[in-house]
Amino acid sequence: MTALIKLENVTKHYGNFQALKDVNLDVEEGEVVCVIGPSGSGKSTMIRCINLLEQYDNTGIITVDGIQVQKGKNLKNVRAEVGMVFQNFNLFPHLSILKNVMLAPMRIRGISKEDAKKRALELLNKVGIGEQADKFPAQLSGGQQQRVAIARALAMEPKVLLFDEPTSALDPEMVGEVLEVIQALAHSGVTMIVVTHEMGFARQVANRVIFMDEGQIVEQGSPSDIFDNPQEIRTQNFLKAVLNH
Amino acid sequence: MKYCRSFLSLILIAIPALFWSFSVHGQSSDPIKVGANIGNVPWEFQDTNGDYVGFEIELVNEIGKRLGREVDIMNVPFNGLFAATQSGRIDMAISSIAITETRLQSASFAQPYYDSDQSLTVRVGNGISSLEDLRGQIIAVDTGATGDMWATENQEKYGFSEIRRYEGLAPAMLDLTIGRIQGYISDIPAMQYYAKDKPGLQVAERIKTGGSYSIMMGKNTPLSTQVNDVISTLKQEGFINALHEKWFGAPAEATTSTVKVVDMPGVRDGLILNFVETFLNTQVFLDTYPMLIMGLMTTIQLGVLSIFSGLVLGLILALARLYASPAVKFVVKAYIDIFRSIPLLVLLIVIFYALPFVGLSLSPFYAAATALTVVSGAYTAEIFRAGIEAIPKGQFEASEALGLGYRHMMSDIILPQAIKIVIPPLTNNCINVIKDTALASVVAMPDLLKQATQAQAVAANPTPLIAAAVIYVIFLLPLVLWVSRLENKFKVGDR
Ligand SMILES: Nc1ncnc2c1ncn2[C@@H]1O[C@H](COP(=O)(O)OP(=O)(O)OP(=O)(O)O)[C@@H](O)[C@H]1O
Ligand SMILES: [Mg+2]
Repeated sequence: MTALIKLENVTKHYGNFQALKDVNLDVEEGEVVCVIGPSGSGKSTMIRCINLLEQYDNTGIITVDGIQVQKGKNLKNVRAEVGMVFQNFNLFPHLSILKNVMLAPMRIRGISKEDAKKRALELLNKVGIGEQADKFPAQLSGGQQQRVAIARALAMEPKVLLFDEPTSALDPEMVGEVLEVIQALAHSGVTMIVVTHEMGFARQVANRVIFMDEGQIVEQGSPSDIFDNPQEIRTQNFLKAVLNH
Repeated sequence: MKYCRSFLSLILIAIPALFWSFSVHGQSSDPIKVGANIGNVPWEFQDTNGDYVGFEIELVNEIGKRLGREVDIMNVPFNGLFAATQSGRIDMAISSIAITETRLQSASFAQPYYDSDQSLTVRVGNGISSLEDLRGQIIAVDTGATGDMWATENQEKYGFSEIRRYEGLAPAMLDLTIGRIQGYISDIPAMQYYAKDKPGLQVAERIKTGGSYSIMMGKNTPLSTQVNDVISTLKQEGFINALHEKWFGAPAEATTSTVKVVDMPGVRDGLILNFVETFLNTQVFLDTYPMLIMGLMTTIQLGVLSIFSGLVLGLILALARLYASPAVKFVVKAYIDIFRSIPLLVLLIVIFYALPFVGLSLSPFYAAATALTVVSGAYTAEIFRAGIEAIPKGQFEASEALGLGYRHMMSDIILPQAIKIVIPPLTNNCINVIKDTALASVVAMPDLLKQATQAQAVAANPTPLIAAAVIYVIFLLPLVLWVSRLENKFKVGDR
């Protein structure tokens, strides 16, 4: 059985600068992978290559559920299977919360308005903001907006969810409510790749933790492998820095 | 489209006139200010040295000499002569101006010195040799001139399909040569003089209108009787007939007003028109407002069509400029830069008068609509581009990550947000397009300004221009206010 997500020899150049160096990664269905590493190490770049928000160099291959991620007809199908939650939420400010969640399933899956609405309300209840369905994004707090963004991604019933530092833009008191939602999702068996600076969270929910530096995967393993017994000096230094500060 | 020359020119004619009308009219020792539509051969035109010459130029110079006053001649377009005379901006107007009942209600004329008829000029060899051949054809006239009045009265009788109104001889002759119009009705002496050395043109028929020309002056001014007396003297001395012989090649018949001393045309009522009667004349307004309404309809049709097609064109250009291949981007950028820098008037003239030479002859309406669309599209494209670029990158990424295709991303996410940003500048652009429709009068399109100009020439009274200005304001002011409200609203809240 092949992995749900497969990165083979993935490199990425921005002009002369190499942001990803020969990255290989398999993520199995149901796995929760947390990606940690210093700023500029290529964490965002790597997960943004998975739904082709960034075009990786053509020497590598990425597949999602066996379909190669590349420009063309299939890209829409890949993206429909890969949900993404951004640091800055990126909700659609001109649409109500409800419509934010309903839009993509109606446009892409072609489901009826009634079904889309029903499903959207279920999801909003699940993330704890069913009451706010008719409000607009600007009327919600950051934590609430991020939970809407998660519901919006879930509405497409994706096979995998990508999170790019979902709590970094939040006030500290709101971090918890968002992490709780992600944690609940993790326990329900959704495949996820989460880029995060929340080490405690990574330790709790991850099946596997990946440490990246300078565009490479330096080390990976179970949370206890990485956090309690890191093998690489770079990992040790990074953890020392983030845990002591 | 910051500027709008024709709309301005309306204001320029009307507003300063308000002030001049209050100023004291010329003292008898000041030079006599004479307005003349230079280029009206053989009456007043420029010779190769650039000096003003012609029948009427010599006449007014002689009149000045006899009155012991200098003569200061300035070039005023025919349609500007009426407001200029009544406002006191000029003391007298010459330009083979026909004496008519309507004009006498607003101005005084000296006794006539030339009896004229109208004439039909056609292109040689296109099968039209008389008025009867013109059924269902397009004819041309000079806006507000005697030929215009005659053609309007007789349109039904002869079945002209359309009367196009031009500002001066040259553009009308160009269109006659191209075949866009089939006949041109204008003063016979001017046409005979013009067609003399042009084998392709022919004065086909004399149209008896019994018009006679004279000098137009402010109503009941002392100058008008003085000039009338001088003309009597000059006729008795044979001076005027000598002018006739010089400019038309033969002396006038003894029975004509060129030779015979006749009465000064009666003044229709004894009052000098005051400000209100000159600029806000109810009777003139009632007589001319149907024309203005027709013009307004044309302006609205032209404006709406141009705005709509300009929006569509602009949106396509903006999307191409942002997302097409580099080659297409380059072409689109060049298009936008060129058409934002080219004056609309020039483009209009090129489209209307030059394209027929490559086989594309557009009607005035579509020529104007094309020019307005092409330019408005360039401006709209930049507005849309700015609007789209103002949308945060995250909105594009979120749409893409959800799997929305380009079309849905644009229609559901990007454009609805961009619209809010672009509505104020787009509305400003709409206002400019509507004002710019006034430029269409140069291609004989009967828009509001054109109709107003014609009406003021026929009535010899500037009221229709004021009325047109008021109509423009009534239509544009709500838009202007709406824009500033929107701008304020968007400034305050994010939503
Ligand atoms: N569009 C771009 N053009 C040029 N360089 C880029 C671009 N995007 C990212 N980079 C560079 O690529 C490297 C990796 O960036 P990336 O955003 O993936 O880092 P990251 O690990 O997500 O860091 P952070 O924790 O700060 O989010 C950085 O050095 C960054 O400067
Ligand atoms: Mg990042």
